[in-house]
Amino acid sequence: MVTDRAALVGILILAVLIVCILYVAFGQITVRKLRKNPQTKGFLGSEYMSGWDIINVAQALAFPRSWSKKIERSPLASMHANASVLREHTTGFDRALGATFYWLLMFSGLFGALLALFNALGAFSV
Amino acid sequence: MSEILLCKQSLSASALEHQCGITIDQVSALGCANPSMLAANTPYSIDPEGSGLDHSILSQLSPMPVARELTSLTLSFGDDNVVALAEMTAKLNEYNLGLLGAATSVYAGRVGNFAGAVKEYQSALMGYREAVTAKSSLQSAAKQKAFRAFEKMQSQFRNELNALTAQAKARRGVALTNPERATNIARSSRSVAKLNVTGQVQANQLVRLSKHAKFLGNGLAVIDFGSRIGNVHNSYKAGGNWERDLFIESSSFAASAVAGTMAVNAGAAALTFLMVATPVGWVGLIVGGVAVAGVAAATSMGVNQVVKEDAGGIYDSVMQLVSSW
Repeated sequence: MVTDRAALVGILILAVLIVCILYVAFGQITVRKLRKNPQTKGFLGSEYMSGWDIINVAQALAFPRSWSKKIERSPLASMHANASVLREHTTGFDRALGATFYWLLMFSGLFGALLALFNALGAFSV
Repeated sequence: MSEILLCKQSLSASALEHQCGITIDQVSALGCANPSMLAANTPYSIDPEGSGLDHSILSQLSPMPVARELTSLTLSFGDDNVVALAEMTAKLNEYNLGLLGAATSVYAGRVGNFAGAVKEYQSALMGYREAVTAKSSLQSAAKQKAFRAFEKMQSQFRNELNALTAQAKARRGVALTNPERATNIARSSRSVAKLNVTGQVQANQLVRLSKHAKFLGNGLAVIDFGSRIGNVHNSYKAGGNWERDLFIESSSFAASAVAGTMAVNAGAAALTFLMVATPVGWVGLIVGGVAVAGVAAATSMGVNQVVKEDAGGIYDSVMQLVSSW
């Protein structure tokens, strides 16, 4: 018997699977290139853990320009990847891939978080 | 206990006897019971019989990247420390099960930085070693560099180091607490190192350490599934439905990782915007960072729980769907 929650969890698992594939693809196609390029190497943001720069780059390519400008003005700018530099060294495909990956990551993460929240509030208990 | 012999350069039988007082008849390698000389970066067991335990340990340590990294780690840190370091790394990995899984990004970052600091210290020691072997004029500069790397490591990661060295029962002090001892190890012209490995588990930890040291340099995404793989393996051994468990563990890991990543990333972006808009001080920043990490951890743990509860049922219905076709 598939409950409402199980159906939502199924959607979440599917979305997460796609995110994982995009993560590896984006890392291999775009970020690998940027890591090797001496002009972009230093602008990939801080790595809380290995591989986090992939997320930094995706964020820089996915955010609208006005948001990125705001980030660059902040004292915490060094934590994030530098969007202006990265935009010069990426193709349209890279940006589209990055944006798809980033927003799918954010929305499936948010979806999961809301699912957990509503579950904790008892929305799924009969 | 098994004694493993590692050397940096190829050694002839007479050189081995001269340097270590071991005759060539006593050593055996994987797939070569009676070597006529020692090859570089190859683990040898000091035991003419070649017992079963030795054999399995050797086969774990033998792959080239592992053996090479292990040889240089052992020569720059000393045998006791390498074993202790391997145990420490394994323990640190357990603390934050699956790194991303718990999304304790603050601590995950710290583990990474600690390993990085140790690695920096190691490469400074290796640099000193090279300077000494080449009789370069930069010896004292290289030694200074090693001392600086040591100070940095010591000042930032005192707790980790204490936990680590409490386990190392070194007779002559420990390279990780005493740079003088470390530079002495590095300076001595040894090209052979002996490792005392007590068992399979320790050998496995050594493999992980040498791989870890390598991966950190490349900045690859290292995802440690830790106990999750253990659960699946237990179920496999017990004859349970391990494919189902694998599905549950991996999907809940992935979902909680994604949720945690989202929370950390959104939190970091929010903090950054906040820094532009309002005059938040460093204290606010630290409080905000802790809050972000807390929310991320709670989120990923909540998601982990929900997905774990339902993933089994989803697996069953998917399998039913597949088999009804």
